[in-house]
Amino acid sequence: MLPRLSFECLHGCSGCEMALLDCGEQLLGLFDRVEIVHFPLLMDHKYQNPLSGASDGEGEIILPEAEIGLVSGGVANTEQLQVARAMRAQCRTLISLGTCATHGGIPALRNQWTSEATLQTVFAYGSPEKALLPGEVPALLDRVYSVDEQVAVDVALPGCPPRPEMMLEVIEALLRRESPDLAHKSVCETCPVIRQGKGQGTMRRFLANADYDPEEPVDQMRCLLEQGLLCMGPVTAGGCGGRETPLCIRARVPCRGCYGPVRPGGNQLLDMMNGLASNGIDYRSLVDRKSLLRFSGGHGLLKPARNRKESN
Amino acid sequence: MPKSQVVSIHPVTRIEGQARVDIHLDESGRVSDARVAISALRGFEQFVIGRPAEEIPRIVSRICGICPWMHHLAAVKAVDGCFGAVPPPTGQLLRELCQVIAHIHDKILHFFFLAAPDFVLGPDGDYSVRNIMGLVRQEPELAARVARMRQLGQAMLARFAGKSIHPVAGVAGGFSKPMLETERRELAADALVLLDFASFALDYAKRSVFSRFREELQSLGAITTGFLGAVDAQGNLRLYDGLLRLMRPDGSWVDFPASDYERHLAEQVEPWSYAKMVYAKSWGEGFSLNPAAPMGVYRVNTLARLNVCDQVATPRAQAELEDFRAQFGRPAQGTLLYHWARLIELVYACERTVELLADERITDPLVRTPAESKAGRGIGHVEAPRGTLIHDYSTDDNGCITRANLIVGTTHNIAPMNLSVRQAAASLICDGEVSESILNRIEMAIRAYDP
Amino acid sequence: MSREAKIIAFCCNWCSYAAADLAGISRLQYPGSIRIIRVMCSGMVHPEMVIHALDKGADGVMIIGCHLGECHYIRGNEMALARAEVIADTLEDLGYESERFRIAWVSSAEPERLAEAFREMSARLASLRETDASPSGIGE
Ligand code: SF4
Ligand code: SF4
Ligand code: SF4
Ligand code: FES
Repeated sequence: MLPRLSFECLHGCSGCEMALLDCGEQLLGLFDRVEIVHFPLLMDHKYQNPLSGASDGEGEIILPEAEIGLVSGGVANTEQLQVARAMRAQCRTLISLGTCATHGGIPALRNQWTSEATLQTVFAYGSPEKALLPGEVPALLDRVYSVDEQVAVDVALPGCPPRPEMMLEVIEALLRRESPDLAHKSVCETCPVIRQGKGQGTMRRFLANADYDPEEPVDQMRCLLEQGLLCMGPVTAGGCGGRETPLCIRARVPCRGCYGPVRPGGNQLLDMMNGLASNGIDYRSLVDRKSLLRFSGGHGLLKPARNRKESN
Repeated sequence: MPKSQVVSIHPVTRIEGQARVDIHLDESGRVSDARVAISALRGFEQFVIGRPAEEIPRIVSRICGICPWMHHLAAVKAVDGCFGAVPPPTGQLLRELCQVIAHIHDKILHFFFLAAPDFVLGPDGDYSVRNIMGLVRQEPELAARVARMRQLGQAMLARFAGKSIHPVAGVAGGFSKPMLETERRELAADALVLLDFASFALDYAKRSVFSRFREELQSLGAITTGFLGAVDAQGNLRLYDGLLRLMRPDGSWVDFPASDYERHLAEQVEPWSYAKMVYAKSWGEGFSLNPAAPMGVYRVNTLARLNVCDQVATPRAQAELEDFRAQFGRPAQGTLLYHWARLIELVYACERTVELLADERITDPLVRTPAESKAGRGIGHVEAPRGTLIHDYSTDDNGCITRANLIVGTTHNIAPMNLSVRQAAASLICDGEVSESILNRIEMAIRAYDP
Repeated sequence: MSREAKIIAFCCNWCSYAAADLAGISRLQYPGSIRIIRVMCSGMVHPEMVIHALDKGADGVMIIGCHLGECHYIRGNEMALARAEVIADTLEDLGYESERFRIAWVSSAEPERLAEAFREMSARLASLRETDASPSGIGE
């Protein structure tokens, strides 16, 4: 019997799945050697058999057993929680795929507000006379969770999205029953720009392009951080460009940290601020520091501001 | 079957988003209601607040990993508006180039990976086979070519702009890097390969797919609505910019700039879905999903764009549009015709890519005007694969977001999709008899909209 | 509600830890809920250690080093001072009041100064708890 693979997409954007499809023919080659048992984006396996009898629209989520399960997206409502649990129960090895699943990702920016506040903001527009909130849909959890905050995960594969080749390598390694090698250093490790070890005293917003000669390759460009642009390369797990230049740097644009922290439990906000301060860069010139956690606000790192009284 | 009951399709599969369908049957087994509910809410309108506007294009791309370029570029335009930035002509051309290339992979994905299994392997096939994996087994050569072509489109973007999924190269005031002549030449060669494939895909579909589903093309999920899309001043189809054209079901229309959207469109919330519904406020009839007499309902996405435009400015796509119109009229209403229109747009996107890469201004080194962060309001529009996409931002003196309203392509189509599902369910289910193949046909009505 | 505020104090080996020793020997009074962690130098306390302590339930965190100019490793405490500002600011970003962190300088001969710093921090945290507007739904 072929090894079975099961895919689920929770609180994410399907970008991880698109990256997987970007493997092109190589992916079709994989399809030959495994049996896909559940993959809502590509196949019609349902949570329940709709013909099994009268349903009230609720009900259990039934998933097939699989050797390898891949979950992209975080966990943000009751239905996604049910699906995450069902995946854990049915899959021998569970992979959290992409930064939403491993660290909360962009959707966890919502954690700076309460769920109520978000619902109010989102539904305040529309017709004012009927500013009602949806009630008959799966309730939001109090915040957006990474998958490992809710169920045990065996392999965490960050990236927004993860590098296509990396996904295949991990799946192939697991099929060979080896544990995939995911040790990484920071984004800067593979960045070829010129570093002189001396930065600017202040940071500027990315309102004008970096200073570089487009006719020259990237390795002739000065490090963006040293040019006074916020570049999160030093505090972000590397791998987006394989052994080559990180992807955003190829576009001459600074890194924003989409692979999450270098160490899985790290804190990109704290690490970046610490790095700036240690290098004598005025971190106060940064607008909106919380954006440094834009990919890793799960694990309770982003919370609503406390409404404390001004006392002393 | 004396009791009323609800049959659910959960989740709707081979679509991009997360949705379920609930079909309500009354005591006599007749469809009394049917709804498509969008069950995920992500709150982008909330969490962009307070952030520097120039960062938003790299955040909102995560609304959708299938069409991240669309959100990226609508956001970039909205930020231009807030900051009063005017990109140099080449900045605009490079943005448009990336946008039309991004349409290419999306259409290949939707037609071949998501929708085609219903047509090629048959709507009544076994679910475990009726998918791309089944297609690989039955038509390995076609499948391999399709996978290669989709990958090629994505690789073109990655090669030129660094990231293809969740792009970063669109920036307030223009683009982050110019195009070198060597890059232009390589991309132009790839574009011709894609154009060839696009012509092949449309021929293939007309010959071996659509011809076998003449009846369904016109009848499955059929409803009568208005349409919304974008055209230039001469009435040509546009994807990157242009005026919005809102067409009534009778074929008459008004054109208006996207910045006037609030005068023409309004949003409505229903308790069974996290997606808001948009309707044509300017028709003055209000909004109703009553299947006998819907009000304010119009459609977006491929079929809508081909209905509202007077013509297409590239030759192959124009010839196909003429053929299409000769067969189905204007406006064409059949819901499954969305697929046909999608492949015509694929041809257009490839032709436009070739055209843009031949424009000598495309390699001009001036691609960005420095922007200045300040208070303002900006409304950015592009035509996404899934329809008219509008990002509307306001900023404070520091250039940080104070308010954001996003109308994404699928939102416009929620109301018509509900009508189509109801129509399909009512015509396919009689006496409470439901089968897997009936349920899949109902899903086919949804898939046509590519939600 | 009336439990004493739990405080983690990172004390450097050369001055403040010695002062703490002396405070014990001299039987100086300071709150019993203080947990002292000895580090070689205040400059080696990474901000993540401070956040980690708070995440794990400490009410407050202190870094105590030698007087400026007297660090055994020459500039360790200057580094600590630069980081202290970052920590105070970042605490607010991460949802904690900046008052939960404090940096102080104590020489090995100043046990009374150390005890005073502990008492003051404890009092500050107690008043913070009283003025905390509401639990505001923060569960964990
Ligand atoms: S990690 Fe990125 S690409 Fe993957 S689902 Fe989340 S937002 Fe999308
Ligand atoms: S800071 Fe940015 S530009 Fe500099 S080396 Fe690191 S990734 Fe490259
Ligand atoms: S450079 Fe940074 S933000 Fe860009 S893809 Fe790599 S990790 Fe992500
Ligand atoms: S040794 Fe005491 S602060 Fe450095």
